[in-house]
Amino acid sequence: MASGASTKEKQQIKRVEMCNIIKYFPGVLANDRVCFDINQGEVHALLGENGAGKSTLMRQLYGLYRPDEGEILINSKPYTFNSPADAIEAGIGMIHQHFMLIPTFTVAENVALGLKSSREPVLDLDKVSARIRKLSQLYGLNVDPSAYLWQLSVGEQQRVEIIKALYRGASLIILDEPTAVLTPQEVNDLFVTLKRMVKDGHTLIFISHKLHEVMEISSRVTVLRDGRIIGTCPTAEITRNELVKMMVGREVHPLSPQPLKSGPVRLEIRNLQVMGDRGTEALRGVDFEIHSGEIVGLAGVSGNGQRELAECLAGVRKTTQGEILLDNEDITSLPLKRRVDIGLAYIPEERMRDGAIRDFSVQENVFLHDHSSTKYTHGIFLDFSRMRAFANELVNKFNVKTPSLDTPIKNLSGGNIQKLIMARELSRQPKVLIAAQPTRGVDIGATEYIHQRLLQQREEGTAILLISEDLDEIRVLSDRIAVLYEGRIMGVVERNEATVEQIGLMMAGISMAETMQRTS
Amino acid sequence: MNDVFQLSVIAGILTSAIRLATPYLYAAIGETFSQRSGVVNLGVDGIMLIGAYASFYIVLITGNIWLGLLAAIIAGLLMGLLMSLISVTLKAEQGISGIGLYMFGLGLSSLLFKTTIGTVKTVTGFQSVKIPLLGDIPVVGKIFFDHSLLVYGAFLLIPLAWWVLEKTTWGLQIKSVGQNPAAADSLGVNVDRMRYTSVCIGAILAGIAGASLSISLLNLFQENLTAGQGFIAVALVYFGNWKPQGILWGALLFSTVNAFQLWMQVLGVKIPSDIAIMLPYVLTIAALAVATNRVRQPAALNKPFERGES
Amino acid sequence: MFKRLIVVLVFVAILVTACTSPTATEAPTAAPVKTFRIAVIMPSAITDMAFSQSMWNALVAVQTEMGGETALELKYSEGMFKVPDAAAAIRDYASQGFDIVIAHGSQYGSSVQEIAPDFPDVTFAWGTDVNTFGMPNVYAYTAAAEEGGYVNGVLAAMLTKSKTIGVTGPVEVGDAKTYIDGFVQGVESVDATINVSKTWTGSFSDVALMTEAAKTHIAAGADILTGSSQSVVGSIGAAKENGSVLWFGTQQDQASLAPDLVVASQVYDWTGMIKEIIAKHLAGTLGGETYILQLKNGGLKIAFNPGYALPAEVKAAGEKAIEDITAGTIVVNP
Ligand SMILES: Nc1ncnc2c1ncn2[C@@H]1O[C@H](COP(=O)(O)OP(=O)(O)O)[C@@H](O)[C@H]1O
Ligand SMILES: [Mg+2]
Repeated sequence: MASGASTKEKQQIKRVEMCNIIKYFPGVLANDRVCFDINQGEVHALLGENGAGKSTLMRQLYGLYRPDEGEILINSKPYTFNSPADAIEAGIGMIHQHFMLIPTFTVAENVALGLKSSREPVLDLDKVSARIRKLSQLYGLNVDPSAYLWQLSVGEQQRVEIIKALYRGASLIILDEPTAVLTPQEVNDLFVTLKRMVKDGHTLIFISHKLHEVMEISSRVTVLRDGRIIGTCPTAEITRNELVKMMVGREVHPLSPQPLKSGPVRLEIRNLQVMGDRGTEALRGVDFEIHSGEIVGLAGVSGNGQRELAECLAGVRKTTQGEILLDNEDITSLPLKRRVDIGLAYIPEERMRDGAIRDFSVQENVFLHDHSSTKYTHGIFLDFSRMRAFANELVNKFNVKTPSLDTPIKNLSGGNIQKLIMARELSRQPKVLIAAQPTRGVDIGATEYIHQRLLQQREEGTAILLISEDLDEIRVLSDRIAVLYEGRIMGVVERNEATVEQIGLMMAGISMAETMQRTS
Repeated sequence: MNDVFQLSVIAGILTSAIRLATPYLYAAIGETFSQRSGVVNLGVDGIMLIGAYASFYIVLITGNIWLGLLAAIIAGLLMGLLMSLISVTLKAEQGISGIGLYMFGLGLSSLLFKTTIGTVKTVTGFQSVKIPLLGDIPVVGKIFFDHSLLVYGAFLLIPLAWWVLEKTTWGLQIKSVGQNPAAADSLGVNVDRMRYTSVCIGAILAGIAGASLSISLLNLFQENLTAGQGFIAVALVYFGNWKPQGILWGALLFSTVNAFQLWMQVLGVKIPSDIAIMLPYVLTIAALAVATNRVRQPAALNKPFERGES
Repeated sequence: MFKRLIVVLVFVAILVTACTSPTATEAPTAAPVKTFRIAVIMPSAITDMAFSQSMWNALVAVQTEMGGETALELKYSEGMFKVPDAAAAIRDYASQGFDIVIAHGSQYGSSVQEIAPDFPDVTFAWGTDVNTFGMPNVYAYTAAAEEGGYVNGVLAAMLTKSKTIGVTGPVEVGDAKTYIDGFVQGVESVDATINVSKTWTGSFSDVALMTEAAKTHIAAGADILTGSSQSVVGSIGAAKENGSVLWFGTQQDQASLAPDLVVASQVYDWTGMIKEIIAKHLAGTLGGETYILQLKNGGLKIAFNPGYALPAEVKAAGEKAIEDITAGTIVVNP
């Protein structure tokens, strides 16, 4: 146990080396003879696509996994970590990609967990809280020690994670994709904190697949691809494009969709009002329409009604007022199944919750909606050979990388699951497509592919609503951009009509008229 | 009826309720520890039977009640280790392992009873101990301060369990492995060890619950002595929202209504006995239905932990 | 990987249970030729000091009388409180060629009614009830428990000082009810002002609640307790803890449970009935009749506890009641 970790002075980590690390998972070589080193005071970025093996590598440094082969040296001494307790003892801290927090505990309890108290066996949360406040001040990590974790925003939760590591006296802190869940403003705050920590003598490993962040924060960068090191060099000596090529293994060309003459109105929404999960109004009267062959991008900070809008259009959330028309037919009160029959397709935001069934195979997931279609039935029986052929065709056409059609979908990477869901939805040749966060958590290669597919669908005449928190994605793909703020549309602009700054202002709740006034 | 009689009835009901609540309190507090650490142990009733048998048998042959209590503790511990082995180390489905454990306990205690004792016998178990001074207070003294040591123990267990769970570093660790074992593990908490300890504490208390029947309240043993009390104890954990104080109220409600209906029958109040017998169950369920602020269930309840699986 | 091991473990546990708790058929088997075979299915344990034990003791007594295991083979299934399990056991024994299958519980009636026609060569006996369903291979048997209840009531009424008597029982049916009805009549025949209060716990197995019911009676002033069925052991325990409360038993002689406190017990003696059924079976009459245990035919006996110093005049009154019931001058209504 990490006895006395909070009080005892830890050794200062001057240098960490991971040499020839090999780590297998069933069927996957996650780390293949990886060599990696960090020196005191540097911010070392670990860059790579999803599934490259970054988390796996770092989990070995934090004692969560044992390397199958290879060595870990700290200050030139070999170390074997049997559990995180050993790594913590050695002065290593880790902020996990999925936070390791206990929602029903207070901040102070989360921090104190696993540590000896000054009044053992009794907890001394007052003392813990006092130290948390001191650390908060020192590093600009503003949190209330007595707040319950479930009350905190994602950004605040991350601060708690950092405090946990600092509290334990970690001198080397691993941050696994810390920005994935943050808003741009929160990312800035985080970087301020990280810079203070470095100034204080901490060493950081910063994992990301976002290039501009890596360029901004790191002093050295290592690129990992398919479990192997592709290269390491000082950040100052390398360009963004070179890094992308190292990550993806090939050139990635930016998209530039051609303007299309859009057709008749396919989807029309009038005065849509919807309740959110907590009984508050999520949409307060939304109007817009989408034409055939048009992509409308819905921009906004998450939590402003995007999810509710998508669910309402898909027919899985009840509308309190307003109308939804598809090709002039009122579908407001139809259930999902009927809407699908009419020509609506839906790529949900929570793909593993709403779009697929974890333990079902790839093939079974392809037929989630269509199992009763007469195409695949003989009377009451399913026509398995025809289903298999079709699933096979989709998997090939959409480049889904899967060991077999019978692999449970949970074993696929995020990008491949998303491609499969898209394949399924697009195979019906929908008239309207609702794509909610289609590339969140998806690697660059798959993102590029999904974008191409969306544009292709647009050319085939589908009306597409693209909901995304990634403004770059919206700006590249959309013909028109609508900005949602607190359940209302702040404005709809043509692709080239508005700057990022203007859209950003609307996202913050400034009306379109005022935005245009302010910025012109 | 005059007032004195009324008062004596109320006193009688409460005295009965306190006795009846005793085994439930031990078993349900024990189960709380287990469930707070993330392990549902449905084998409580089986453990109670083993504990009841072991303590009874030891008292029968040695005449020493403390040795009997020790036997219940050891028997509970062994059952707890078995449950932990199956559900924590081997990661079996907890519901099924618990039912298996229950049947094992039921079968083994019956078998041992038949082979070593054979027929219903009685022993001299824990006797009522009147607490000096307090026990002499009129009415109140009789209700609260004239019981056997195991009854007092059950009620002292409530604040003790609360203190352990809410105020100690160890309690924090128990709760953490029941809420988010991966988080606990990442802070160096030994998840398996915490669960083993919690399940074993629970089983030891279940063993004592059995002893409170066989060597304190009833002073006898027969097959299936507990008659499903262990399952009611598990239900009380849910009723009490996984909190010792909640369990106290739940157990007292259940046993008070039970005592009440017995008294009503004794006093010849004209209610059909079938209705009277259902009363405690119906009222407890009703209380559960109207109680607000549910869903405090440990998030990792019923989920085995494996490092690196998220 | 481990999962399979778990399944195996669980099954082992179930197996241990299955082999020990409800069934546990025991009794030496197979002898030369012409061994008469009787199987009995009972709701509680053969050691319950009450209903099931009374039948088992009788069977063993008959076996001894007939010359041991070679003459009469006995098998039992105990703890069959679930009727479907019991039904399966009844069918099993019948198909194994037992001569007589005894379904010893009023809850087994419908099972017997269903199974008996399939085994016309097997005699089924069931109780306590009077209904043979008009089937030629079914005997029904019951005990006129009210008779012994009356006698116990007379004794109790003469012994109570507080004029309050408590009765405990599981459910208000069958011989549990008739016993108590007789008991109340007996009490009233001596002193109609005595208060007899009754509690039912609703469970044949919940000893804890039964004990608490008895304690409640004692707290309410009862100085004599009685009751029927398996879990009375709890009530006797409560009486014993109190130390001065007297107990009247039924179904089985319960004096050994509390030698100082048990005054008398009504004892069911099934031996006469069993012998008669065997004889009839051998003579070709496989069923169709109803047996009632009575004081008159010796099926019921009152066992006075020699360890309890019963005043002579009280004992005399009890014996007088027995005589009168036997002679028919007192009629006890069930
Ligand atoms: N616990 C695990 N069991 C099996 N496979 C795993 C496990 N963790 C990671 N993997 C696999 O190892 C590879 C690397 O994963 P990971 O280290 O999480 O990548 P990254 O963090 O770079 O996105 C992936 O193919 C992933 O599916
Ligand atoms: Mg990762």
